[in-house]
Order: sequence, then structure tokens, then C-alpha cells
Amino acid sequence: MLGIGRARGSLGTERAQEALAGYGFIAIPMALFLIFNIGALFYSAYISLWRWEILGPTEFLGFRNYAFILRDDVFHIAIKNSIYYTIIVVPIQMAIGLTLAVVVNEIWRGRSFFRAAFYFPAIASSAAITVLYIYIMAPDGLFNHLLELIGVNPLGFHNQGNWLGHSDTALNSIIGLNAWTTSGTMMLFYLGQLTAIPTEVYEAARADGAGPWTTFWRITFPLLRPAHYLVATVSVIGALQMFDQAYIAGGSGGDPAYSLMTMVLYLYNSAFRQFEFGYAAAVGIVLFVIIFTATLVQRRLFGSSDWQGAR
Amino acid sequence: MSVTTVARAVTAEPESEPVVRRRIGRGVVYAILILYSLIVFVPFLWTLSTSFKTLPESLLLTFIPQNPTVQGYVTAWTQLKPALPVMFFNSFLLAAIVTVTNVFFGALGGYAFARLRFPGREVLFLLVLGTLMIPDQLRMVPVYQILVNLGLVTPGPQNYIGISIIMAISATSLFVMRQFFLTIPYDLEESARIDGAGFFTAFWRVLLPLSRPALATVAIMSFQGTWNGFFWPLILLQAQQHWTLPLGLSQFRFQYSTNWPPLMALDVVATVPIVILYLFFQRQFVSGLSAGAVKG
Repeated sequence: MLGIGRARGSLGTERAQEALAGYGFIAIPMALFLIFNIGALFYSAYISLWRWEILGPTEFLGFRNYAFILRDDVFHIAIKNSIYYTIIVVPIQMAIGLTLAVVVNEIWRGRSFFRAAFYFPAIASSAAITVLYIYIMAPDGLFNHLLELIGVNPLGFHNQGNWLGHSDTALNSIIGLNAWTTSGTMMLFYLGQLTAIPTEVYEAARADGAGPWTTFWRITFPLLRPAHYLVATVSVIGALQMFDQAYIAGGSGGDPAYSLMTMVLYLYNSAFRQFEFGYAAAVGIVLFVIIFTATLVQRRLFGSSDWQGAR
Repeated sequence: MSVTTVARAVTAEPESEPVVRRRIGRGVVYAILILYSLIVFVPFLWTLSTSFKTLPESLLLTFIPQNPTVQGYVTAWTQLKPALPVMFFNSFLLAAIVTVTNVFFGALGGYAFARLRFPGREVLFLLVLGTLMIPDQLRMVPVYQILVNLGLVTPGPQNYIGISIIMAISATSLFVMRQFFLTIPYDLEESARIDGAGFFTAFWRVLLPLSRPALATVAIMSFQGTWNGFFWPLILLQAQQHWTLPLGLSQFRFQYSTNWPPLMALDVVATVPIVILYLFFQRQFVSGLSAGAVKG
């Protein structure tokens, strides 16, 4: 296509010039990708085979770092927390995101306002949002005030209303936080797919006498499968990497009592508290494998186009 | 959509039972809209309100401060180390650098990947997209080690060079620009080329001025992402005077653990610039998001 209409110069030099320009234009970004992404991946695998501290490698360990990881109790806690967090937060985000999308899709006037409003919590920084949330969930915070207002005494709970400060409720509180901030994003993904469903489908359903509830479960929900897949994948990947909120709310120790210790926080600690870079690199690889596996499993379950699961 | 609304109204007229049901449906819809709007906005308004409260009042359930004061802001401005304006400047500087580099390299690389033919183009582009699969946490240790070797981790302004290099170009920026350049007809730059312009001139003079919407998306996306960024600044900004706002928030949250008004003032200052951007460039936020969905 590009060659059409080129009159000047021989075709060969023209081609060579074009290729040269192409390489020149991508040179800097490509170098950065090759060094800091792809190179880093291999470097990480290499570092993970060593006892590698702040001054560099000291002893070749082979795969022993990986064995150390599997034996560490805190790592088990971190895995358990991250998986628990993911399993709970993803369906909540999907359910709220879908509900909001359906509801926003129902209205005509004010639609763009509500769409913009519901996405709003997602635009602020994780740090600002988490600090705001810590304040709201504090013993004297808004959440407990509102509980009192509806006649529930927060001091009656075994955590005495200290939601983020008690190991039983800290992680669940963070689930609430991220369901709040991320559901708007999920709503936008769902809305994109909802508006793509042809209206004839609904008209046909109405002609058959299907009520809104039946229409939703029998028609809308199954037709949204690509959106379910996208939303589930995006939120699982995000959830397994949860770090900022845990670090800001619970410090690097994932306090209280490791209740906010996530896999990435564990990785961060190995690298920048204990300065065990070899060990931390191995943790990073393990984390990558877990995320990659989760993505593949989801693709197998929901992604393939011939999937005809139970309705 | 308006066609369906009309169709609904028309078909709904005769029977009365569906009309009632539809009314209930409407009621549920608006109830959810209003309830969730409250859930979205009340925490932010509460934060804003607290930033103008006195410390004792910050623990009470009052939505409008009884004795409004800017003491929280004054404290955040004068007592914090680094001072609030310093962190604001740091955040802005970093976000500005990363925005400029992403726009420039994104456009240049996106143009090459979309419109110039060179051997290995598809493979290299797949490689770029492949980097989206690599989580930042996996890169953390090797990237840190590379920057140590380059001398960019010792405390000092050079930390900004380190962060800027890592964030200089994201695959998402490149992807957005490439997709945009694929949609522009070839005739324009063809005629520029025939007039004797080089590839860079054709790109700079002809294509770049046409690509404002995509450039705006990349710019907004990069600015917001960097302004809000937490992970790399936490790891790479060693000296306190180089902290960005999110980093400051995460540290002062412990230092000022129950002194809410200054903390909320800091929270407001960290959030307001993004809110203003959102008010003006809502479309770019959303289109950046759908491009980012490739990333996940």
C-alpha cells in the first residue's frame, strides 16, 4: 500500500530508507522494553538462583530459594490471604459492576452523569483512597457513626469497631475498599458490552412475554459472556497483585498479625526489608506463575468461544 | 436506544399489569442509582469536610464543619517534612516528565509500527504487547538491580532519572497510538513524501497534528497513572525531600495517625488535580481505560 504512487528513486533504496526510519523511530522505546521488561524477566530468573544480597551475588543456590519459599510460614499466610482476597473481591466487583451497568443502561436522562459518577472512585490514587478509608473505618469514623445512627453499637462487635485494626476484619475491610473503588471500572467494561446487544433480542423476548427478571437471566447475562471473561480476568490479575492498600493500611508487616500480608507485600519485604534479592526474585517468579496459571484457567473455563456451560 | 424507549412506551400502554411492574422496576432502578451515588460521593465529601474541621470535631458526625478552619491545610503546609508544596511539585514534575516521554515515544513508535514497513515489525510489536503480561512486581528486583548498577538508586535527584526511565514508555501508550495511526488514510503523508519530506517530517508535520485525540488519551492516561503512582516511587525515591504525594500520604498516615484534619487536607490536595482533569477530560479517561484493558 505504501509503495503505490512512489515515483522518485529506485524502489530498493526507498524500501531501505523506510526500514531504517522504522528502526530509528522505535529504537529508544524498544531498547527500554527489551532491557526493563523482557531482559528483566530473564535477569529475575537468573537472580533467583543465587544468594543475592545488597552487594550482589554471594553463593549459587540453584533452586534452593524456591524450596525456602515453600517452607516459610509467612509465605503460606500471604498466599492464603491473597487467594482469599481474590476469591471474595472478584465476584463482589463483578456483581456490583454488572448491577450498576444494567441500571445505568436502563435510564436515558442522566445516564452520562451516573456513568461518570460511578467511575469516580477509580480515578483517585490508591494512597489517597486508602488513607481516606482508614479514616472512615476508624473507631471514631464515619462508618461506625452511621452504624450507631441505625441503632447498631459498634463497640458491641468483638473488634470494638476497629475494623482495620483487628486481624479478623482487616482483610475484609480492604475487600470493601477495593470493591468500592473498582466496581465503577467493571461497570464501564460491562456497559461497553451491554450497548452492543441488539435491541431486537429484547423486543423478541418481550413479545414472548418474558418479564425483566427472566430477560436478564436468560438473555442479557449469557450474552454478556465476553464481558464476564474480560472483567473476571482483569480483576483476578489485579486482586492477586494487591499491594498498595495492604501496605498503606497495615504497614510493611501487613499488620495486624499478618492479616494484610499479601503475596506482593511479602515480595516487597523480602527485597526491601530483608534485602534478600535472590529470594525475592524467586518469590516474583512464583507469583508470576500463579497469576499466569489463574489467567490460563479462566481462559479455559470462560474464554473459549465454543464454551456452552450451564445456564 | 430512544427507539426502544418509545417502543416500550407504546407496547406498555394497553395492559395495566406490566405498567405497574414497570413502575416498580423504575423505582428500583432509581433507588439503586441514588443509593450508589451516595456510596460514591459521601466518603469524598466527608474527607473534604474534615479537612476544614478542628481536630475534636473530626471525630463527630457533622457533615458541615461547625467552626470551619484552614488549620489542617496550614499544618500540612508548614509541619510536614517534606512540606506539602514540595511533594506537590515532585508529583507534578514526575507526572509531567512521564507524560511527555509517553506522548513522544508512543507517537513515534506507534507511527512506525502502524505505517512503516521494516523486517521484524510484527514480531517486535508482539514483544511490546507481551510486556503487558509481566507484572511490575516481577520486574521489581531486576529493575532495582539494574538501576543500582547505573548509580541511580543512591539518594538524590538522580532517583527521578531512574523512575523516568522505567516509566518513559508504556506498551499501552504505544498501542493506543498505533491503533489510531492505523485509521488515518495514507494519501496525506504520501503527498508529503512525494514533495520530498523525510519520514520524520511527514510524521511530525502531517500526522502528529491529526492525532490530537489519541495524544490527549495517552497524555491523560500517563499523567493520571504517574500522579497516582505508588509502587515505583516507594521503591526508588530514597530521600524524604523527593517524596511524591502518594508516598507522603502513606508515611504521614502513621505519623499523624489520629490527627485527621491535616491528613485529610493532604488527601484533598493529592486528589483535586485529578478530579479537575476528570471533569474536563472524561472521555480520555474512559478511552484510556478500554485500551488498558488489554493490559489488565
